[in-house]
Amino acid sequence: MSALTLDHVTKVYKVRREPEVRAVDAVDMTVEDGEIVGLLGSSGCGKTSTLRMIAGFEDVTSGEIRAGERRLNELLPAARNIAMAFEGYALYPPLKIRDNIAFGLLRDRRPRAEVDTKVQEIAALLEIEDILERYPPTLSGGQQQRTSLARALARNADVHLLDEPMSQLEPQLRAILRARIKDFLIEHKLTTIFVTHDQTEALALADRIAVMNDGRLQQYGTGDDLKDRPANLYVASFIGEPPMNIFDTLARRGEAVHRLAVRTKDGDTEIALDLPRDRITDAVGGDLQNGRKLALGIRPHQVRLGSFPDLGPVLKGKITSNQWLGDQTHIGIESAGRLVIAVFDGNVAAPIDSQVEITLPLAKLHLFDGDSDRALHHGLTTEGTAA
Amino acid sequence: MSYLSLDHVTKRFKRETVLDGVSLDVAEGETVAIFGPSGGGKTVLLRLIAGVLDPDEGDIRIDGRSVIGEPPEARKLGMAFQNFALYPHLTAFDNIASPLRALRQSEAEVRQGVERVAELLQIGHVLTHLPKALSNGQKQRTSLARSLVRGPRLLLLDDPLRNVDAKLRYEMRIELPRLLKQMDATVLYVTQDYKEAMALGDRIAVLDDSSFIQIDTPAAIYREPASTKVARLLGDPTINLRRVRPAASTHGVSVDLFGQSLPLHVKPAGAADLVVGIRPEHIKISLTATEQGLPVELDAVTPLNVRSVLLLRTKDGGELLASCSEAEAARLPRGHGKVWLDLSPDDLLLFDAETGERLSGATP
Repeated sequence: MSALTLDHVTKVYKVRREPEVRAVDAVDMTVEDGEIVGLLGSSGCGKTSTLRMIAGFEDVTSGEIRAGERRLNELLPAARNIAMAFEGYALYPPLKIRDNIAFGLLRDRRPRAEVDTKVQEIAALLEIEDILERYPPTLSGGQQQRTSLARALARNADVHLLDEPMSQLEPQLRAILRARIKDFLIEHKLTTIFVTHDQTEALALADRIAVMNDGRLQQYGTGDDLKDRPANLYVASFIGEPPMNIFDTLARRGEAVHRLAVRTKDGDTEIALDLPRDRITDAVGGDLQNGRKLALGIRPHQVRLGSFPDLGPVLKGKITSNQWLGDQTHIGIESAGRLVIAVFDGNVAAPIDSQVEITLPLAKLHLFDGDSDRALHHGLTTEGTAA
Repeated sequence: MSYLSLDHVTKRFKRETVLDGVSLDVAEGETVAIFGPSGGGKTVLLRLIAGVLDPDEGDIRIDGRSVIGEPPEARKLGMAFQNFALYPHLTAFDNIASPLRALRQSEAEVRQGVERVAELLQIGHVLTHLPKALSNGQKQRTSLARSLVRGPRLLLLDDPLRNVDAKLRYEMRIELPRLLKQMDATVLYVTQDYKEAMALGDRIAVLDDSSFIQIDTPAAIYREPASTKVARLLGDPTINLRRVRPAASTHGVSVDLFGQSLPLHVKPAGAADLVVGIRPEHIKISLTATEQGLPVELDAVTPLNVRSVLLLRTKDGGELLASCSEAEAARLPRGHGKVWLDLSPDDLLLFDAETGERLSGATP
């Protein structure tokens, strides 16, 4: 039995004389006991409405939300045993930080000694020990956010809901706090759903991520699923920093070699990506109907610099940027009339304006239907899968 | 010769000193990223150069000529802002054209100038739109086009990518350097994002607490930060810093780091405490015991783009952040586990524990 189930959950906002807005459209998902789930999408995608329906701040237009077997739809927020950290922090201004964090625990009638220990533990975790005796209005946005987070984590509720929990954190603290929070959630087996527009935060914390767009669930899976097996072009071009390189192509069937023709920007020339029939799977070959529109994708760190025809199609290009960021290098290559991004660990010698060849390994290529945007294949050979 | 010179520039607001005698020379055609946390004085610096504010002390020279007292329009520079600052009642075309019309250029010249920069920034198709009909990305490109249209020799960009979404910010980070080189302009680029500073700047000037705390190439600043403060500002995850006490050993001086004794090749002055800095990407992780490896607890794995961040707990209870590739991380457990870490002494940075300054040449 799942800790939380969303069964065809829909939210429609109606304002008189205005067209109705379907903010959340038939979302189905389950959250297992102790699982950490991220709701990810850009603003207006429906992620916050979904969170607010789970919390009980919004009515569910249709569908059902269950905690275990208990239907939540009609329950008041306070009766749901859900802990929440809000994006606007919602701290009690007349209470010290210590008492703000302890508030939920005391209301749950936990003994004072236990509460004090818990507050101390959480405060150390989030580095707010030195502000426990201060009041919310005297704190920075980042400190208030950490207090709000501390209050939600201190409780042992059935479900913990966190709304953009780390958007205001100081950049130097972000990596360590994310890691400590994840450790804490796993150690205490807290079932958690958090909303974020920041995919690095979602990937860092979540066991599974629900990618939303236009009120619809695009894909619900692990970070690896989203990166290596994106369900459609929306997810493929949203996930990853930088996201997948996508080529719009037309299939051309041949005797020994099938081709994907990439039209360059001027529209006159075509660049062919060769897919030898004996190297690709029958299923891929079957999807290459003559004249079919297909999108080809490859993640930036799977692009190889140099010519390796045994691995996959080779393209000529020109280096347009080479940016070393300390632990990795991002290279821009103008090829087939578009910008291809390649990412490497460490430092790479590739001077601007130099002519290069790049290889797109068949095993790392993704194929999407050009009309429906749906993913068809991840990895085009039998030799390995796209990872 | 430098095109822009800041010579001991000081600016105060009432009793608060926002810039404290800062000096910087920018060569013609060079891009310098002014980088630092908010409240450090970055925007005030740009306003002083633009002529919106006057310095209390010091001199600002453009092309060898002091511009103190000159009105902004006489300084012939281009500016773009993080809030775009477009005229809401003018189309994108008219917004971009405004600096040219202020020069009373003919309509034919105006059209030619606007179309040239619009093509460069790929906004030719939205020139007839009003700002409210533009996406944030298009607004930002329009604002940038307006700053470039007059072909200014000096360009001041105040965090122009701050308010655009992550995807567009990334695209612009890749494209902008080439665009700026094509315009042949000398550029000051203000940012709070170390990746933008490293990607765009020929040099980075780190501004914190009203002074430049280091001015150098991105590689030098990342590899040889002047202080723990600079070291913490660049890199994600943040550099690990550990306070240690040097002790006499058979090799001369050594420090105890996570229960392992590491010899220092260069003897630090005195026996004062040191801070050792270790970049997360320099920590090697193995799932099995290695000869020199130190056993540590793995507390959490948090994926970050194509790399993963590991939270490690050393024997003495301290925390350490390491990063590894996606493939390596795939073999690690969800919860706690045991791993072995290896450090190369060449990768360690040493700082004075009191002043925070890096001890140059003092690599262990």
